[in-house]
Amino acid sequence: MSEYDFLVLGAGGTGLAAAMYAARLGLKTLILGASHGSELPIGGVITTTDIVENYPGFAKISGMELTKKIEEQARSYKLVTIKEEKALEIQKNKNHFYVKTNKGKYSAKTILFATGTKWKKLEVAGSEKFERKGVNYCALCDGPLFRNKIIAVVGGSDSAVKEALVLSRYAKKVFLIARHDIHPETINLEKLKQDKKIEVLKNTNIKEIKGEEVVKSILLDKPYKGKKEMKIEGIFVAIGHIPLSDLAKPLAVKLNESGEIKINDETTETNVKGIFAAGDVTDKKFKQLITGVSDGCTAAYYAYEYITKNKLYVSS
Amino acid sequence: MIIKVYSTPTCPWCIKTKDFFRRNNVKFEDIDVSRDARAAHEMVKKSGQMGVPVIDAGGKIIIGFDEDKLKKTIGI
Repeated sequence: MSEYDFLVLGAGGTGLAAAMYAARLGLKTLILGASHGSELPIGGVITTTDIVENYPGFAKISGMELTKKIEEQARSYKLVTIKEEKALEIQKNKNHFYVKTNKGKYSAKTILFATGTKWKKLEVAGSEKFERKGVNYCALCDGPLFRNKIIAVVGGSDSAVKEALVLSRYAKKVFLIARHDIHPETINLEKLKQDKKIEVLKNTNIKEIKGEEVVKSILLDKPYKGKKEMKIEGIFVAIGHIPLSDLAKPLAVKLNESGEIKINDETTETNVKGIFAAGDVTDKKFKQLITGVSDGCTAAYYAYEYITKNKLYVSS
Repeated sequence: MIIKVYSTPTCPWCIKTKDFFRRNNVKFEDIDVSRDARAAHEMVKKSGQMGVPVIDAGGKIIIGFDEDKLKKTIGI
């Protein structure tokens, strides 16, 4: 069984940056790139972001391109190994963690949960039936298939607004349907105001999605221009995320009521010695690539300190 | 076996699928459904859904990027 100092679950920006930093500190590091429940390739959620404008050093860069650079940087360190394997089970025995994946078994002195999140599904009548048949979750991926169609984005977050802005490039009309208000970053609110194809429907909910082979219409809980039924040919869901923290539960790692891993904000330590968490899976409020990368590096440093203090090195 | 990959240029799973074929020296036809409405229609008809990537491997339809399934289907 291969033994590592630092085992990172998740190969998003957070996990890749953490591994890069751990290698700088001399830790033999393994990243498992398809951690439990992950639906995203290496690079994580940011690969589905069209343009990143809030990462220092790059005024404008595609999410895919940026994560490629972060991945390349992590891979340039000999102490970093990336395996596209899915972690299935983690056990702790004294100062050792044992991780079973779909392809192998590994042991590690420290573990970092950088597992991120998965998209929250829309739960209304018809949403399951029409999934990928008009109910989609990635505007950047599937947006071009909705050229010249009338579509809707569900959600009120900054991410929902960004999805609407991506989709307006292709669609004839985009309705942004938010159950309360919308709360994008100011810069995206300005872009939204200038986009004539997007119409915001606040305090509105979808009650049902109708169609035949694919989505044809939606039923709203209040009328739009006098009618509750609206012709819509595609719905993109951006109503939030579910933290991928299932593997932390059997280890007695404390989670909050949303399932996010509780961490010490300064050190990224969890309540279990040797286990750290960073990025979207944690209970921190403000989550961006830039903050995940920062927390990942912090986790690497405190993992290094923990290993040094307890004389647990395997890489020397 | 003729392999077609229905994709969009910005989809990370599509990029990963194409990388997989290139890495394994498997020839494929890349069909950009964002530029070709007829191909997009063909993809929806073949797969019964509206998400990319869709892989047509000698008539067998695979939706999404699934490395194990791809390996099994094309026999590598």
